[in-house]
Amino acid sequence: MARQNYDYLFKLLLIGDSGVGKTCILFRFSDDAFNSTFISTIGIDFKIKTIELRGKRIKLQIWDTAGQERFHTITTSYYRGASGIMLVYDITNLKSFDSVAKWLRTIDEHANEDVEKMILGNKCDMEDKRIIPREKAEAVAREHGIRFLETSAKSNLNINQAFMELAEAILIKRTAGRGSLEAADRVNITQTENKSLIRCCNV
Amino acid sequence: MSFLIVYIFTMDQHSINSLVNNFILPGHKNVQSISVGLFQECVITKRILTLVEYQQNYGLLVINRCDNSIEKSKQLTVDFVLPIDDRFKCEFGSSGINTGAGENIIAKIIHGKDKFIVELKYTENNRHFFTEVNKAQDVFLCKTNSSFDWLYRSYDCAAPSNLDERLSSNIAQKPYIKEEMNSSTKNTKNNNEFTSSSETLNTLLSNHPNTGITLSTSTAHGKESDRNGSGKIGKSSFYVNEIESPDDLSNIPRDIVAMGGASLAARETNIRLKMAMLEDQFMELKSFNLFIGSWNVNGQNCSVSLGENWLACDPSPPDIYAIGFQELDLSKEAFVFNDSTREEEWLQACTLSLHPGAIYVKVKLVRLIGMMLIVFVKRELEEHISNVAAETVGTGILGKMGNKGGVAIRFDFYNTSMCFVNSHLAAHVEEYERRNQDYNDICNRMIFSQFKPPKYIKDHDQVYWFGDLNYRLMDLNRDQVKRMLEEKAFDELLKHDQLRDQWRLKRIFHNFKEGPIKHPPTYKYDPGTDNWDSSEKNRPPAWCDRCLWRGDSIALLDYRSHARLKLSDHKPISALFESSVKVKNPTKFRKVYEEVMKKMDKIENEFLPQVSVDQSEINFGRVTFRESVQRYLSIANTGQVPVRFEFIQKPNEVRFCKPWLQIQPYESTIKPGDKLDVELKVYVDIESAQKLNSGLEEIYDILVLHLDGGKDLFIEIKGSYKPSSFGSSIETLVRLKIPIDEMPANEYHELQQKGEFSSAPVSWGIPKEIWLLVDHLFKYGLMQEDLFQQPGLDTHFQTIREGLDKGSLEGFTASIHSVAEALLIFLEALAEPLIPHSLYSRALENYHNFIACKQVINEMRDTHRRVFYYLISFMRELLRHSKYNNLDNKMLASIFGDIILRAPQQAQPNQKGNHQNNIQEIEKKKAGFIHHFLVNDFDP
Repeated sequence: MARQNYDYLFKLLLIGDSGVGKTCILFRFSDDAFNSTFISTIGIDFKIKTIELRGKRIKLQIWDTAGQERFHTITTSYYRGASGIMLVYDITNLKSFDSVAKWLRTIDEHANEDVEKMILGNKCDMEDKRIIPREKAEAVAREHGIRFLETSAKSNLNINQAFMELAEAILIKRTAGRGSLEAADRVNITQTENKSLIRCCNV
Repeated sequence: MSFLIVYIFTMDQHSINSLVNNFILPGHKNVQSISVGLFQECVITKRILTLVEYQQNYGLLVINRCDNSIEKSKQLTVDFVLPIDDRFKCEFGSSGINTGAGENIIAKIIHGKDKFIVELKYTENNRHFFTEVNKAQDVFLCKTNSSFDWLYRSYDCAAPSNLDERLSSNIAQKPYIKEEMNSSTKNTKNNNEFTSSSETLNTLLSNHPNTGITLSTSTAHGKESDRNGSGKIGKSSFYVNEIESPDDLSNIPRDIVAMGGASLAARETNIRLKMAMLEDQFMELKSFNLFIGSWNVNGQNCSVSLGENWLACDPSPPDIYAIGFQELDLSKEAFVFNDSTREEEWLQACTLSLHPGAIYVKVKLVRLIGMMLIVFVKRELEEHISNVAAETVGTGILGKMGNKGGVAIRFDFYNTSMCFVNSHLAAHVEEYERRNQDYNDICNRMIFSQFKPPKYIKDHDQVYWFGDLNYRLMDLNRDQVKRMLEEKAFDELLKHDQLRDQWRLKRIFHNFKEGPIKHPPTYKYDPGTDNWDSSEKNRPPAWCDRCLWRGDSIALLDYRSHARLKLSDHKPISALFESSVKVKNPTKFRKVYEEVMKKMDKIENEFLPQVSVDQSEINFGRVTFRESVQRYLSIANTGQVPVRFEFIQKPNEVRFCKPWLQIQPYESTIKPGDKLDVELKVYVDIESAQKLNSGLEEIYDILVLHLDGGKDLFIEIKGSYKPSSFGSSIETLVRLKIPIDEMPANEYHELQQKGEFSSAPVSWGIPKEIWLLVDHLFKYGLMQEDLFQQPGLDTHFQTIREGLDKGSLEGFTASIHSVAEALLIFLEALAEPLIPHSLYSRALENYHNFIACKQVINEMRDTHRRVFYYLISFMRELLRHSKYNNLDNKMLASIFGDIILRAPQQAQPNQKGNHQNNIQEIEKKKAGFIHHFLVNDFDP
């Protein structure tokens, strides 16, 4: 009788340089709120949020990591077990974008092999201070075959979508591996997969 | 993630009862008390539910035990009371949502508009409790003057628990009082509705001295407002908040959770209960037409069509049919074997006579001898019918034969439970008491036992009760009745109706309603005619065949008899209802569900362990060898739940912190609102000093403060290590031209790292520090009693260290023992032992052979060998004064052997079994090695 109220539990991780807005993204997604005061995350924090995707109830456990360089050796130990990683940079901060390559290497070294990745260019509300052209980031994402979205935690742009897309990609991966799926479900999977691929290339 | 915690019912029945017995007022009777889990906004707290009785009035107390370990009744407080009256209701597992999981069941206890939910074990004892509650309700229903003043007076003044005090601040904003008023308005409105249809039973009710109840109820609520006004006890907190938003989490009894006195309910339970509470928000009423038919067919064959004259007489087809027959078969076979061919015959007749405007399917048929009940439903609605069950109760001969009694069918239609009862009660004018008893027997014995807990007729949202109830007209003779019938004075006649009379007296059909009767009596006719009975029995006419109902949202459309069916001495009757049932609105359900989920997420996030620390970076400043420095980290629990924290090990590390750091306590639990100061102490011992001196390690660490089930905080530890001659290598020390304190750190580190390969020239024969210490001992200590056997003082040690690092011990006044100890520490701290690791094994292997020992010494680097012989000569000097300093060669060999010969890290003995022996053996060898040099003459 006692049934779990979710079908899946996904552990997601937010990584990226200090100050790019990882905590704000999480706060926006979980609490639908925004606070512009910068408080550096010194540690690893998480929040949970239950979403529904393609009829499945998914509990997301989203881990927010300290971005500061000196904590890297510790934070990378949290990569294992994550089913999805969001790599965040700040579109107004060149250094944070340059770090993307380094972060991707860190993921390769420390995360599960099949981890779903996504690059987020945050603070896209600050168009006047933009330094990283969207196309440039898109090119990097395409090169690595990773989803990409520009987001703004402040103006709540693409935040929900980003989590949904990442969760969906994980869900597809999980369900695709299962032989017992009904035929109808399979069709759905491929459809969604196509959609996601298009999106990740053309956004 | 330990969001789900199972609460445990700890107390046994006996101790609960004795607790309550001590608690309730004298004269009041504790009928039974049970332990339950009360669901309050995501939290389940233990409560005692007590059924209390005073002068045949019953009430339910919800009692809070403030503490698990209590023994005195003083610590019991009443959260709230509920009178067991006609507004009281207890539901188990209706709507399919709130059925319990595992062995626990959920009871929704309702009083008027208020409801609360408890979870309890499905045990014999707990079932008995609810049986007692049922009985209590029956007692109320049969009483004419009930009062619950005693209940409110006695228990609502109980000292409020902390919980209630805290909650009282919220009460002002709660819609509780308003809700109450609304509900009473609604009741009045309902009453008005029935009063307006002048001939309903309710009209009679309003004339009846029932005001006592109404009064006491309103008094009770009056008090309720007072109580809330004075902010003493709030029961609103336990009830559903109708205008709930996901952001409103104010009702959670946080402090109770914080104290560990309650636990957050398991998320699944939570959602289940929450949805049950919010049912009203996603259930919509949808109305359907019900046709109830009843006919006593007097054992006749079915020779006519039942359609246009009875079952299909209305223009539009009803959605549900419930058709009851009595005296279907008067044959012996039917009576003795309950076997009848008539069943099929009448079923066929009914099936063929249903309204032609729709297609029907049979839901269920049940028959007990002559009583048969069939339920049909429109085919397209069949899928919404679930949990169908049928039961029979015989009340005939011996109180159990099936010639009289009732048959019933129950099911859930959408989310409303319905029960149809077809009964045939005892005959004869004077036997109304017997009929009452039959009615009560049916109520008590009609049990749908496949449910958990079993369902009775009264447990249904809607009950339709019909049949040949056999109540007659009293105090009138045949002629009077006939004359009044000719005048169509039905109203006047109905004043003599036994059914209505007994109902008024609260003997039967509590809370049931009947429609206005506008048709002539249905009994007794000469079969085949519309003429009143002309047989010799000459029965006076009566409305024997009736239909009553109980439940909300039921509107009677028509109530009639069907005179054209003349087969029997009874005329069939029918009642047409428009009944509303609860239908789950998928969109609203989804919305509510989503809201609940959102709220659960929010709660779950909010109840994660949270702490704040006063600093995330702790700087120890300059630290040096063997000098302890303390700092404090204040950890404050800023969350809602007790937090257990622990400093955890980082990947690739052996401990949760570096060896030079000590954390006390490194794990503990903090209650919400509390703070804990953790002491962090840096103390650089010999081993750490060697590493820090080399500059390869520094005073820096990141601690991971892990909260059980929650986040991790990083605490940075910073400091700078002041290099010291202690922990340096001989090679470094002999190359130091200036005191170590004056040496730039990087140059020093380089020396320390390069050692003998350093390009810096050797400036000293032996390290100056060793010479200073030995010289001091030579000057002042040779005659010192117990030299090297008394411990020194820490403060002296620091002075000595400072002196040595500055390059001078001038003006130094410390105990000679401190200096002796400092020498030992100095030798022990040497970054490379005096006998280098490379020669360690050989030294030990050859301890018994002086020549071989000398060979070992000869193989050492000059720097080390010089120090060795220097120390040996010093020791020999000491031995020359042994009568003063009490030293002997064995003792000195043992003291210095252990320091001069130090095992390389990896070669340390680790065999558990003869560990102790091993150590002793090694010490013996070390001492033996040195001993040769103390007793033998040799040429350095």
